[in-house]
Amino acid sequence: METQFNSLYSVILDTYPLEGKQLTKIWKFFEHLKEGRLTTTKCVKCGKVSYPPRILCPDCLSEELEWVDLPTKGVVEYFTELKAGIPVGFEKPLIHAYIRLSDSFHILSKIVGVKSIDDIRKGDKVKLKVFDVPSIPAEIGREKINIDRVYFAFEPDD
Amino acid sequence: MRDACVIAGGQSKWGYRDATLIELFQEAGKACFDDNPNIKPADIDGILVASATSERLGRQTHLAPMVAEYLGIKTRSVCARAELLCGSGSSAIILAAGMIKSGMAETIMVIGGEKLFTPQRWETFYSQLGSVDHDWDGAQGLGLPPSLFSIIFQQHSDLYGTTEEQLAMVSVKNRRNGLNNPKGQFRKEITLEEAMSAKPVAVPLKLYDCCPVTDGAAAVILTSDSTAKDFTDKPLVKIIGTAQATESNSISNRGSWSTWSALKTAASTAYSRAGITADDIDVAQTHDCFTISEIIEYEDLGFCEKGEGGSFVEKGLSDFGGKVAVNTDGGLLSCGHPFGGTGIRQAIEITKQLRGDAAHQVENAKYGLTHNLSGAVVAHTIVIYGRD
Repeated sequence: METQFNSLYSVILDTYPLEGKQLTKIWKFFEHLKEGRLTTTKCVKCGKVSYPPRILCPDCLSEELEWVDLPTKGVVEYFTELKAGIPVGFEKPLIHAYIRLSDSFHILSKIVGVKSIDDIRKGDKVKLKVFDVPSIPAEIGREKINIDRVYFAFEPDD
Repeated sequence: MRDACVIAGGQSKWGYRDATLIELFQEAGKACFDDNPNIKPADIDGILVASATSERLGRQTHLAPMVAEYLGIKTRSVCARAELLCGSGSSAIILAAGMIKSGMAETIMVIGGEKLFTPQRWETFYSQLGSVDHDWDGAQGLGLPPSLFSIIFQQHSDLYGTTEEQLAMVSVKNRRNGLNNPKGQFRKEITLEEAMSAKPVAVPLKLYDCCPVTDGAAAVILTSDSTAKDFTDKPLVKIIGTAQATESNSISNRGSWSTWSALKTAASTAYSRAGITADDIDVAQTHDCFTISEIIEYEDLGFCEKGEGGSFVEKGLSDFGGKVAVNTDGGLLSCGHPFGGTGIRQAIEITKQLRGDAAHQVENAKYGLTHNLSGAVVAHTIVIYGRD
């Protein structure tokens, strides 16, 4: 039977990453997301932690990297709402925050689960939110498969 | 080593245009040749085309031979495209200058531009998701930059007390200077009150804090100092120092939002190569993609102390008659910003200022600077020009 391709997938410019072990060497990041974990790579040789995850340590060029967990809860340092020019595929309100996850790690992420920007304050606690995004209709050799995908943002941690 | 000089420059009308990418390039090429009738297409041996979105929005790859053909140029030294998003035009100027100085080319047209208004407007915004790290920052909806610059302003304001009014003063000045460029997108002054009460784009940034979406192209012709004398009697405008520096491409884990260390690195490198300091710059075209950008650029280019960018504009020190006239043709805020065209438009205005025939002349300008930032404030490109 012919695999049904996802009609939400846009061939113009796909918003989300290539996921799945057929398409990327860092596929475990997305498997970890499905378990509610936010992870990245650490160099076994020199200890350098990189984000986004890599397949090569940019400090010592070692290819021996391991997965480490990043905190999934943080605090909002700055935030804003994009009012004009929202890219297709993103919903209003499109709110972004610069989030402190630890002393050594900040992330700039979309904030979901709020009705308006008035619901956010500096210093608010937020937590990781993982959600499904459109799958990739992929031609792998002679096979056609749908590669399921997830992505992440942050939401209020009440 | 010999020097590279600018001997002609011109641009198409910029704005919301009834023209395709290749038509914009033809208009810019024509305006450039018209600026110096001594130069003919047959005098050009190389072309460098600057365009960031030529495939996605302009529908064209393998652009350089096509532009050359439409302008009657048969290349012998170089024929290629240069891309560094908002710094594409200045990158192409740096590459052309290097080829001319080394003797690999004699006379090069550097031409850049974009077709950013698509029939469906959403395509433009959507395509910007690829201008940051697509998988990690674009996927968060961070393609269009106002959100980032809102955060940059908030941190600058927290640390140094920079106000929304001081931002508005940048747009009022640059809109006034925009009257100097008849081919710019906006030629209408605004008041401080209009700027302060404009609709929000990315809170607290408002409409006039942000440069617009623009169709347009611009071109300059560079040649060696010895050949330049065959084509012009005007004072020679030489490229005397250039630099490019980068920092964290990822938007996460930024050291600082409000001090741009790569800009400081690029500035000190370019000044040192030119053998001058920030105090010697008479006129500068800096990358005012947002009002807060111009304020941070005053500081990190060394025109004022760190944290004093807001008062620098408030005291009129970046205006005509101040310490250094900044964005004398209106900058991105007035002229618009077709990415590959911007660095070239800046080069045209600096050339006019240094040879003494600008629409609004900075008196006796000897040294001029252009600056572009690109991506999520990742790369900084500086070109310093000097009058013979």
